Amino acid sequence: MPKLLRNIDQNWQIVDEGDSLWQAENDWQAGEPLQVSVDSEPDPSWLEATAIAVDFPALTDGRGLSLAVLLRTRLHYTGDLVARGNVHEDVVHFLARSGFNVIELPEGKDLQTALTWVNPHSGYYQPSVANPETVFVSKN
Amino acid sequence: MYQYSEFDRSFVNQRVAHYRDQTQRYLDGKLSDDEFLQLRLRNGLYIQRLAPMLRVAVPYGTLSSKQLRALAAISRDYDRGYGHLSTRQNMQFNWPALEDVPDILQALADVDMHAIQTSGSCIRNVTTDQFAGAAADETIDPRPFCELLRQWSTSHPEFEWLPRKFKIAVTGAAQDRAAIGVHDIGMRIHGNDDHPEDALIDIYAGGGLGRTPVLGALIREKLPAKDLLTYTEALMRVYNRYGRRDNKYKARIKILVRAMTPEGFKAQVDAEWEQIKESPSTVPASELRRLRDFFRPPAFGRQADANTMLADQRLTHRDFDRWVKHNVTPHRADGYAVVTLSTKSVGVPPGDVSSDQIDAVAKWADQFSFGEIRISHEQNFVLPHVPKADLFDLWQQATSVGLGSFNVGLLSDMICCPGGDYCSLANAKSLPVAEAIQRRFADYDYQFDLGEIDLNISGCMNACGHHHVGHIGILGVDKKGQEFYQISLGGHAGHSGEGPKLGQIVGPSVARAEVCDVIEKILHVYLARRFEEESFLGCFNRIGIDPFKESVYAKAA
Repeated sequence: MPKLLRNIDQNWQIVDEGDSLWQAENDWQAGEPLQVSVDSEPDPSWLEATAIAVDFPALTDGRGLSLAVLLRTRLHYTGDLVARGNVHEDVVHFLARSGFNVIELPEGKDLQTALTWVNPHSGYYQPSVANPETVFVSKN
Repeated sequence: MYQYSEFDRSFVNQRVAHYRDQTQRYLDGKLSDDEFLQLRLRNGLYIQRLAPMLRVAVPYGTLSSKQLRALAAISRDYDRGYGHLSTRQNMQFNWPALEDVPDILQALADVDMHAIQTSGSCIRNVTTDQFAGAAADETIDPRPFCELLRQWSTSHPEFEWLPRKFKIAVTGAAQDRAAIGVHDIGMRIHGNDDHPEDALIDIYAGGGLGRTPVLGALIREKLPAKDLLTYTEALMRVYNRYGRRDNKYKARIKILVRAMTPEGFKAQVDAEWEQIKESPSTVPASELRRLRDFFRPPAFGRQADANTMLADQRLTHRDFDRWVKHNVTPHRADGYAVVTLSTKSVGVPPGDVSSDQIDAVAKWADQFSFGEIRISHEQNFVLPHVPKADLFDLWQQATSVGLGSFNVGLLSDMICCPGGDYCSLANAKSLPVAEAIQRRFADYDYQFDLGEIDLNISGCMNACGHHHVGHIGILGVDKKGQEFYQISLGGHAGHSGEGPKLGQIVGPSVARAEVCDVIEKILHVYLARRFEEESFLGCFNRIGIDPFKESVYAKAA
């Protein structure tokens, strides 16, 4: 049983959930959970997935962040968006702000540390998927 | 100057807290070297050949005297009594202990400073014209736009993990002192300070030095100021998604722009931008004016006419006259001048400044320049607003602490990276080469006769010393374990309204012991072939590289 971080009503929590049987893009059919790679082009057919996971090949690979932004803002995908693969405790805030609502850490990573740093700042300099409000001090 | 809000202050304090926890977890063995590497880099900490190096961000090269004093204190408390001015307008410390870095970052946060994103594959500190807000040839102050970009790029959710480092430079003056053509993004702003919301921005993309030097392509003309962040977001998204990640030497945006062609890259960015043009990141006019107001000129007093006094002082003090000639730049306000304090003197690595010198500059900033200091990419300090009547006093004080060199723009005012003495990337040492050249050509009259020459030295292909854009460039290379040096000529970083140009290699590289002789031969060709008043660069452009080549590689008779 993998332990996950899940955003429930704007509260990140550690949850116990069953394994999803992620299907790769070439094997996947509508109604199944879909796992995509960070270099995939977002496809409207993905909206038929029960959940979408993005597989991060490395801590340093930021392509999955852009992909999440496109899924949320371009395809208007509203279902579970799961970050998995090589995900690190100290980057979860980037994932959370880019639109992931579920974060699965690999073996050996500490969920409690990740939860501590899921939101290291009380505010940010940019609008984001998680908080699309304008940030400018002086609004027109 | 920009003043931190409570928001800025709490942001950097929270960042220090996060980094303190990361350092502790690393020391406790809970983070591997590779994991911690990525986290510390984004807080400015490199592990160098001899010790860690901490790079402190000096946003667009602007500092207050209070901030500069804090840097002097850090150099005393945590380093060996000196700091180093980098070619990207930042300040580096070469000897901090890894365990002390959270405390150093806290000391920075206490004076509204940080080391965020000064290294790592992310958007780095935005650089600009060191004379911004003071230069007579400026049409619009670039700093409000730099501050807008600083805020937007800080911990951006999407763009912290790019294929490679990413550097943005901005200018608002006729002469491009920010070298926008050799940056990942270069921005030239047109407009005026009264209406920053009406400013129009030309965007260049894909420039850079390093092992594949290339000039940026103009991909968007006259971008309205309100669209600056949405357009940059579109551009960054294309780079983040499609920039190469399989080979770090092909990961810079210049390689992507070349692979897609500038037209193809522009089309892709435009298509992305169409989708996000109207978004919460569109910058309201009120925000641009709010930022502009931080950079209003100081209250310049009416200065009594100092010209007669200045002329007398120059007549009676030869060295002061030389200093005024080379180190003082016209100011836009009557009775004021811009002063460059050169860090280049024989025996001192270019850009190195002692704690006492740093404190002295802070004192002069309070005494003469409204408490404001700049760091130039030529690795010098700048006092931007000095009354002409005070120049003599300032010069005397500067001379007494070794900051009175009258060599700005001359051969000995060279740019030089730390090289193989400190840097683990370097193929060859650069500092001993710089020192040997300074010693060989120390004679002022000779340097003065040569006139304006930019000599830039890099210890390796990464080109931190900007050798490609030196009138004379020197690059350290490794030849079967031996240090050799490749000389190039005719480069410049943007000159008399012209865009930058990359230098041409003279020929096979030479051993370190021969570098000074080669430079002397090159200078000799110039002196022999120049027309009256013709600069080194002008002469090179007229006669080409062949006469230099012939002289350098002539067989002994």
